[in-house]
Amino acid sequence: MVSVYLDDRPSLAPSRLRFLVFGLAVVVAAGALSARLFALQVSSTSHYTALAVANRTVLEPLPSTRGVIYDRSGVPLVSNVASYSVKIRPADLPESRREEVLALLGSLIGMDPTDINITIDSNPGSRYDSVRVAQDVDPTVANFIAEARQELPGVEVVVETRRRYDSGPLFAHILGYLGPVSAEELPDLRPRGYLPDDLIGRAGVEAIYEEALRGQYGSQLVERDATGRRVQVLRTEDQAIAGSSLRLTIDKREQELAEKALRWGMAKAKLKRGVIIVMNPQNGEILAMVSLPSYDNNEFAEGISADDYQALLKDPQKPLVNHAISDQYPPGSTYKLVAGTGTLADGKITPETRIRTAGYLTIGGARFRDWNGVGFGLCNIFCGFGHSSDTFFYQAAAMLGIDRLGYWAKKLGFGAPSGIDLPYEAAGIVPTNKWKLDTFGLPIYPGEVYLAGIGQGYDAVTPLQLLNAYAALANGGKVYRPHVVSEIIRPDGLVQAIEPEIISEVDAPGALKTMRRAARNVVVSRHTWNLVDLPIVIAGKTGTAEFGTPGPQGFLPFHNWFVSFVPKDPWKRPSDPHGWKAIQRTDSELAVVVFSYNAGTVGNSSTEIVKYYYQLHFGIKKDYRNPHLLKRGDFYVMD
Amino acid sequence: MSIRPLDLSVGGGARRSEFVTRRVGVVWRAFDLQLVTYAALLVCFGLAMAYSNSATAAVGLFETGSVFLRGLMWAVLAMIAFLLVSAFDYHWLKTFAWPLYLLQLGLLALTLGIGSGVGGTSRWVSIAGQQVQFSEIAKVLMIVVLANYLGSRAGRMGSLWSIVGAGILAGPPFLLVLLQPDLGTALVLGAILAGMLFMSGASLRWLGASAAAAVAALPFIWTYVLQDYQKARLTAFLDPLSDLQGAGYQLYQSQIAVGSGGLFGRGLTNGSQNAAGLLPVDTTDFVFAILAEELGFIGAVVVIGLFVLLLWRILVAGWRSKDPFGTMFACGLATWILFQLVVNVGMVIGVMPITGIPLPFVSHGGSSLISIAIGLGIIESINVRQGRAEW
Repeated sequence: MVSVYLDDRPSLAPSRLRFLVFGLAVVVAAGALSARLFALQVSSTSHYTALAVANRTVLEPLPSTRGVIYDRSGVPLVSNVASYSVKIRPADLPESRREEVLALLGSLIGMDPTDINITIDSNPGSRYDSVRVAQDVDPTVANFIAEARQELPGVEVVVETRRRYDSGPLFAHILGYLGPVSAEELPDLRPRGYLPDDLIGRAGVEAIYEEALRGQYGSQLVERDATGRRVQVLRTEDQAIAGSSLRLTIDKREQELAEKALRWGMAKAKLKRGVIIVMNPQNGEILAMVSLPSYDNNEFAEGISADDYQALLKDPQKPLVNHAISDQYPPGSTYKLVAGTGTLADGKITPETRIRTAGYLTIGGARFRDWNGVGFGLCNIFCGFGHSSDTFFYQAAAMLGIDRLGYWAKKLGFGAPSGIDLPYEAAGIVPTNKWKLDTFGLPIYPGEVYLAGIGQGYDAVTPLQLLNAYAALANGGKVYRPHVVSEIIRPDGLVQAIEPEIISEVDAPGALKTMRRAARNVVVSRHTWNLVDLPIVIAGKTGTAEFGTPGPQGFLPFHNWFVSFVPKDPWKRPSDPHGWKAIQRTDSELAVVVFSYNAGTVGNSSTEIVKYYYQLHFGIKKDYRNPHLLKRGDFYVMD
Repeated sequence: MSIRPLDLSVGGGARRSEFVTRRVGVVWRAFDLQLVTYAALLVCFGLAMAYSNSATAAVGLFETGSVFLRGLMWAVLAMIAFLLVSAFDYHWLKTFAWPLYLLQLGLLALTLGIGSGVGGTSRWVSIAGQQVQFSEIAKVLMIVVLANYLGSRAGRMGSLWSIVGAGILAGPPFLLVLLQPDLGTALVLGAILAGMLFMSGASLRWLGASAAAAVAALPFIWTYVLQDYQKARLTAFLDPLSDLQGAGYQLYQSQIAVGSGGLFGRGLTNGSQNAAGLLPVDTTDFVFAILAEELGFIGAVVVIGLFVLLLWRILVAGWRSKDPFGTMFACGLATWILFQLVVNVGMVIGVMPITGIPLPFVSHGGSSLISIAIGLGIIESINVRQGRAEW
């Protein structure tokens, strides 16, 4: 470049060309930046606006209102109440201050900081998911925590609803409770809308009808800032759909009567465990179901402490277990229904067939005693069942053989879960050749066939299965799926009724009619004499099942049972003083089973409890109870 | 290479007396009001953004330490600096060019020695409770030093030695800044050198050769000079979506901010990216993103237009200057502002990598504003101290 001197001073003459180039560079640069800005801000602004919205908004779940549960007559058994929950978002809790924050929080809500730590660490979600630390926090404490943001970083107070079970232990085994979802379940539950700190039905109806009760969580668009704190709710994206409500088949009053009868008997007989179930044989509706000891499901609703939960788990009487369905016990003589029905239906015997009973039968050198030690002579089915002759039913079982006996047991609903709408139902055991081979790798021995005929040995049933079999006897052979929920009431008002469902049918009306009479003969023959005088016609069967190891007097401890039913309109009439006609009908609407665990009473405690329940149910004014039968003593010695 | 002392023999004394005797009105006419106006308007944009930030940060506008209040304070200080420098005869700068050069090196060495910064860097020095970034002052001092040198080389610019000499002068400050490490400022110094050499009439052939040499040195710089985070920023620029939670985050968020602004913007303080705090350094390096979001395309183009007008007035001052120092100084200042404008706005709209270069006037930062005010003051001083201001 040539520099041009404009005057005498040494000067750098501005080069016109280079100034032009520079000026052009300025214009081109500004033009290029503006063009790019135009492309971003005018041409694609909708794209970026959408991104900006997505950037700071997030779809948050909108919890639905869980359905409530009514008893048969519409009395609410559970309600949703508002409660303050304290939650911690681990990501917002600085590690360096964790100890200090948890110590302060612990002192405020009365929790051990160690427990809070465990709760946080067992949180199934990520560090950004809130962990519920405490529920039902006192409102003043909640307010204090909400305002102490500086002292308690990462701690928040939210208003949630929780369950309140209005009758607590009375319905605990039926209704169940909710519990937090676990880390293992979360991957499966997430797609179904569950949150890491969500609750899910853990027991009872709350568990089985979880889907209906829960409803559908909605979602709302929430604006957040860069730290994830909620700024405001923008709009509801999906309305939450409230859960359906349930109507139980159980009437609260009936449940109270059943519990009252059972508690009375258990107190008198000093029983530690007992079960009473009341059912309508015409449709499988459970009218009452009480398993004692029970627990208060409100403890779970309020967030049970680890110690209290451990105490419940370690209690030898297993209060958390619904013994009516979840435990199986030897049925004892109540099981004679199976061999009786089977031999009659298969034509092995007729109602007139007489079998010689004796003090004992001998098989392979082993003696199989009759319970009274001498037998009942020549006996037909009414005599054999009525007096509960063991030697009669040893022979009846032998006539059928183990597999045919098993066939009729399964026809009557034994050996498989009934399918009741409650969780953790046991299947029971019906021994057959195949079952013993599969289980022990051995064939059935003849003596085991004898024992299977009288409900000892391998036989195991749940109280519900036993009741269901006698309900089938009462209704003429239909084994219904028992259920505790009668209706699902959807939030839109539509009602879905739970229809009766037959799971098995005993197609032997004649045999069953004979067996109903035999069951009535149990009472009329005065074998179960303490029910004879009642003004109602009761049919049923006692059972005494030995278990465990012999006591000091050489006898095994035993449970006892009484399973029974009454015909519709069971009042005795002069035209039918013993109820023989009434009991042949198949219109029974009431069947009751009582199970006394480890009874050890001088009489059959279960019959007394059943009797008291019938008195209460039918409003029988005169009291027929015999409390002396419930004294501790030995059943065998007295007889 | 030599720095000439103030050339009194060419009638310095006479010039001074001429200046004194001239009527104030003549001086006033030579004073470029347009230049001041455009600069003031840009400062107003900066204050508006500071206001927006303070409003969304929920800090009281006039609360001690609010971004707005500090911006206002620096604007006043910049105005005072501008007026003082305007009144000051720029010829003295030539006299004190060497001491100023030593001052520049001293400030940068001081920063390196006692400065503090983020993540092991040393960028700021605390003076009276204020964080001062000496590298900003070093930019204007660099221009003074280079303008003095190149002005003195007038007539000999065809020679390679003029380029080498300028390079030797710019080298030490460049390295000191790079050691902080402050890649952005180093690039600005490099750009100033290149721009001034081009405008000084240096041989295009040698300039081209030097540029080729610089490009050839890039692999070396990549391997031995650049820090990992700087490399990450450069690669993130090539594909911002590849590392959204890391280096690509700012680029991605700033483009969203700009793009969502639309034609008219969301209105001052309404920027969602601003309020949500999604954009770090939203008052400094990425202030233009918030500006574009809140004031829209219109606002952004007005700001760019003001820069074009300002650059025009600076270039006019340089063109009119009969003193090669004045011409070179104006070219240096224009290069500086243009480079920072292009790189900063380019970064915000995703066409330039993140280099941490602020937007003059608008980005919050006292040192940068004072430094530019001094530069503009010198331009005005050049304007009013030409023998014949009017053509």
